[in-house]
Amino acid sequence: MTTSRKFILALALAGLGILPVALAHVDDALSFAQEAALPYVKQGFTVREDAWGGDLGVKDQKAVTAQLFKGNEYWFWLGTDIRGAVVTVHVYDSDGKLAESDFWQKGRFAGAKVIPQKTGTYYAIVTVEKSPKERTTWALVYGYK
Amino acid sequence: MLPRLIPILICGLGLASASAQEPPRSIDLSKFPAAAVDDVVVPVPSEIFNVLDKLGSPNWKAEMRDNLGKNTGNRAQVALLLGTIIADGFIAVEAEDSERVKDIGQEVLTLADAINVRKAVIARSKSITEKADAKNWPAVRSEFDGALQDVKGAMEELGDDDLAQLVSLGGWIRGTEVLTSIVGKNYTPDGAELLNQPELVNYFTRRIDNMRNSRLKKEALVGRVRKLLRDIKPLITKGSIPVATVQKINTMTNEVVVQITTEEP
Repeated sequence: MTTSRKFILALALAGLGILPVALAHVDDALSFAQEAALPYVKQGFTVREDAWGGDLGVKDQKAVTAQLFKGNEYWFWLGTDIRGAVVTVHVYDSDGKLAESDFWQKGRFAGAKVIPQKTGTYYAIVTVEKSPKERTTWALVYGYK
Repeated sequence: MLPRLIPILICGLGLASASAQEPPRSIDLSKFPAAAVDDVVVPVPSEIFNVLDKLGSPNWKAEMRDNLGKNTGNRAQVALLLGTIIADGFIAVEAEDSERVKDIGQEVLTLADAINVRKAVIARSKSITEKADAKNWPAVRSEFDGALQDVKGAMEELGDDDLAQLVSLGGWIRGTEVLTSIVGKNYTPDGAELLNQPELVNYFTRRIDNMRNSRLKKEALVGRVRKLLRDIKPLITKGSIPVATVQKINTMTNEVVVQITTEEP
């Protein structure tokens, strides 16, 4: 099962109130990712309704593979519900070259902007840099315009 | 081809930078561990239509179909058909044809009913009608994106992951048919570059290969879709895609759309 599908399942279970506490945090992480995205909606970005997420140990990383199109602008937003955690997201093209034109990091939030120079496969690399917890739940959303 | 099979190892390469630090200019994707690479995020149709909007003003009405097809009772066909019809919803939005949009919204509901996910799209269908009446095209487009996600989500909740993939595939095939039709008629390298989706094609192929429902996997229509993916793959590798290739992909996808539309059980 992919992370995204696990994530959807987690959200479904959370809705039924039968989710273990740790998994319920994924839902919370999503609310932080969406919070990070909010200001960009006013800039004309459409935020996708689905999201990707899971949990990682400190210094662990996850690559989310995405098909991006030249002609669009994209922002990826990452969030975690773990207070004191520091997470980052950076985007690379299929040759492993840094593809983002902007990025920021603010504690439990992070963002990376991509204006693709070519249509193709890109990798959003999620990293948990610091965390008071052994496992840190995270959620990633992206938007385009 | 990097992705799943050849994942990355960045921890040891120092990608894990401190939060305020600049990230590495490049990473070695070939050393990324497989477990650390998620499946491909399938783009929503709006992402492609958004780019097409910027490339000019194609004749969208000419891309609309009179015959959207019918439910043959074959679940694989219904799932693929549903995907193609949702894609047609986007075309009707581009053509700003509110009556057609409403018809398609209703058709989506009917097909969703046939595969037990009607409940998931009732609200979307109603909203599509309201927003089409108001000619709020960006909002209608967003509702079609949402309908696709809702249908897939509902199927996955029912354990029909394989069927959910066929909905995505149906949408992708019809979308690719229209994309190649438009780009083929008014060729530009930028337009053709939208077809550069090799990892997405690999992903769809993997999903068919790994179908848990062996009966579904053996369906002739599913086999036909798999062949299409296999045939398209070498045509959309890196580099520019010439007009002849664009037109070839259009013919290939059109044939499969016709099969999805007319397939008898």
